[in-house]
Amino acid sequence: MISLKTTKLLATTAMLLSGTMLAAQAEDYTITVWAGGTGDTSNYRYDNIVLAADILEREAAIRGEELNITVETQAWSGWDDFKQAVTLAAEAGNAPNIIISGHEDIGPWSQSGLLRPVEDYVDFDAWPLNAIYPNLYEISSYDGVVWGIPQDAESRPFYYSRANLKAIGWTDADIEALPGKVASGEYTLYNMIDDAKKMQDAGVVEAGKGFLPRPSNGPDYWQFYISFGGEMVDAETGKLVLDKQAMTDMFQFFVDAADAGVVPATHLGSTWDAFHEAVANDQAGFWHAGTWTVSEWKTKWGVEDFFGQMQYSLIPAGNENGKANTISHPLVYLLSNAGTDEDAAIAAELITIASEPRFNALHAVKSGKVALSDAQASIPLFANDRWAGIATTELLPHATAIPNDVEFGPYWTAMYKNLEASWTGTISVEDAVNALEAEVTSALGDQIIVR
Amino acid sequence: MRTRTCLLGLAFVSPALALLFAFFLMPVVLTTVFAFTNMSTSTGITGGSHVITGNLLRDLGNAGVDDDIVAALSEGSFSVTPETLAAAAEAGVEPRFLGEIESSLMGQSFEDARSFESALKALPSRPTRIRDIKLATEPFERSILNTRYSSRAAMETAIASMVPDAPVDTVSAIAEASYTGWRWIDGGNFQTLLDRPETIRIVLNTVFYVAATLAFNVFVGLFLAITTFYLPKTGAGFFSVLWLLPRITPVVLYAVMWKWFTWDNGFLYVIAEQLGLPAFNYMKGSVPTAWATIILVNGFVGASFGMILFSGALRAIPVQQLWASEVDGASRWQQIRRIILPQLRWPILFVTSYQTLSLLSSYEQIWLTTNGGPGSTTTVWALEAFNTALNNYTGNLEYGMGAAMALILVAVGLILSILYLRMFRFDELVNKPRIEF
Repeated sequence: MISLKTTKLLATTAMLLSGTMLAAQAEDYTITVWAGGTGDTSNYRYDNIVLAADILEREAAIRGEELNITVETQAWSGWDDFKQAVTLAAEAGNAPNIIISGHEDIGPWSQSGLLRPVEDYVDFDAWPLNAIYPNLYEISSYDGVVWGIPQDAESRPFYYSRANLKAIGWTDADIEALPGKVASGEYTLYNMIDDAKKMQDAGVVEAGKGFLPRPSNGPDYWQFYISFGGEMVDAETGKLVLDKQAMTDMFQFFVDAADAGVVPATHLGSTWDAFHEAVANDQAGFWHAGTWTVSEWKTKWGVEDFFGQMQYSLIPAGNENGKANTISHPLVYLLSNAGTDEDAAIAAELITIASEPRFNALHAVKSGKVALSDAQASIPLFANDRWAGIATTELLPHATAIPNDVEFGPYWTAMYKNLEASWTGTISVEDAVNALEAEVTSALGDQIIVR
Repeated sequence: MRTRTCLLGLAFVSPALALLFAFFLMPVVLTTVFAFTNMSTSTGITGGSHVITGNLLRDLGNAGVDDDIVAALSEGSFSVTPETLAAAAEAGVEPRFLGEIESSLMGQSFEDARSFESALKALPSRPTRIRDIKLATEPFERSILNTRYSSRAAMETAIASMVPDAPVDTVSAIAEASYTGWRWIDGGNFQTLLDRPETIRIVLNTVFYVAATLAFNVFVGLFLAITTFYLPKTGAGFFSVLWLLPRITPVVLYAVMWKWFTWDNGFLYVIAEQLGLPAFNYMKGSVPTAWATIILVNGFVGASFGMILFSGALRAIPVQQLWASEVDGASRWQQIRRIILPQLRWPILFVTSYQTLSLLSSYEQIWLTTNGGPGSTTTVWALEAFNTALNNYTGNLEYGMGAAMALILVAVGLILSILYLRMFRFDELVNKPRIEF
């Protein structure tokens, strides 16, 4: 779904300048902004650029210049259509000036020449970019170049229905102690399967709804790979890693969950609406989703008391090889190669202003995201939001990020395809992992290390 | 006279030829070209440039390129010298600012852009905009790392300027490796398809999908045509229009209607629940129901096509033959078996061959309904080609691989067409009738 908005900020500037009768020639810019994976609660992802344009125009007016910026925004709720649109528009020479996408796109898009390095246009030593956590810039860099400015970040916790845990005999104290047990590795994914089964056997939840994983592809599935000890990148060489044992254990976990009947073998490809409806109404036992979905549950699915209804934790470890973890998938502002260098310079100034902690706080609180800087965390709107604080202080420190490697896309696609195939029982786990290995080694050669 | 007629004929068919060229021949030619390349999101379609990156240097080092050359290529520095100052003046750096650079920083060297920018920012006449400061640093830079060169020759010159002593073939090999665009990979895509275990699954899915849907199309189309043939004309017309609805409804709306029909809390779900039967999302909840949904979704569209053609053909059967058979005491079944079906041979063959080809390349309805799921159990070849080339979650569009898959589809389609034409003796079909009615 695409929403198209055009915001004209001409009137304000014209009004400001009408009395001054400046001799300087007016400069007109049209800056296009496309945002992917942007639902109803994420409007500040692009609205912040509109606000930034207003400020930039006012700053110009104070300097005695007339600057007119028209910001045209488009938002896609999904990723497939968005990435297709950006890629093909860029090939046709119509890419938007500012792209808001996942950091993993930096690899392929920078190689193809779609992007301008943002480091050539902004000042990282000046406010507000010097306030953003340095590790986020590592995520928005590729091959030694900073390509993007972090727009938001999140974590992807595991959630529990308090009512359903109590229905199988858990006490409030047990539930409160759960996140700690998960973090220490005492409570594992297999314990979770057992408890989900108990809920189903006791008739607390319907069969196949004990455990609801994400119904579609997403970075979330890499968390389970880490839960079983997997590594995505080799720290020493910087190459991608396929840990066959961890991948086998992870595939096997979902097959075991399906065999235990706590999740259907046909779960992948089911609908998000069914997922949200089940988890928001205590029809499921255990599930995982991004921190931002809490906002959706509140605004769209009738959850009134999130903390009273649900417990949260890191994604539990799968076995002794792995650890409890979560993944953060920061979105970044990227500058495309579209337009003139002057357009890009204006777009970069807009991104810089939009990275003001106050603007980032608007987005983070409305959409359930974490803080990108200490300054943002101290903005009252953010500081007074309990969930945003928890996501930043309790979950984010345990977060890893998927790599920006140019070859990660093919690896990811192959991983998900074979996870699907084994989960649905089309092929065995062993065959799925072998197929994955064959596919990535033929496609990536020595760019991937198979362990 | 003959020439003029020929030219006139050519003039008449030229629009059709132009369209054929633009919308069939060109795509096939381009698909063929793409199929033998590794074109993808990261290589781009229109061609690449030459750039040396940190990762490339790492790979070159691993591939045995001399460490000194790799180290020299990875170097970068900013120096204020009379030469770089002249270059900056030529590049249009503001003279007063340049004067300040000369007086305060002459002879100095900086290891990275950030420290040089900091030094520039301390100067009184610094530009206010950060972009202008960055542009001002460029003439002082001595590095080729991460710089994009549009041609190989420019890259080689740049490499030689950093490592003047490097052997020519090493420079050439590095320039070759620095290319970011697509490359010819001969039959690499086809080999990958052959090696992938899932290829066979997708082929089997496709064969099953085409065969089952085709059977549904032909039998239901035939059944509808014959039953409406025996109905009174007004009733028959009504039923025919009803069956045309799936074909005339826009495909997205049609898919949405099937979702209402088969999804959680949809029509079938509610009925099944009332009857105490298993109620779930039939479209995506189990493999057999997903297949049934796809076959029906496509089958109803195709059945109306068969129905129209068969109905027309039925009307062409001399009604006297049916009257005569009734006089001889033939039952309805005997009429169908002995009179109608033999005379519908050509339309049946036509519908079979036409629908086979159209089903082979169709994916829209599947994409909009099960999207190849659950898992990839209902993924067919055309859908996989589309997803590979143009539509996937990670945004890694593999144009080359997708084109290879599409090319295979074109080849299979052509082979099947020839087979059908020979098997069904198409030349006889288009012969002049021997009997005039």
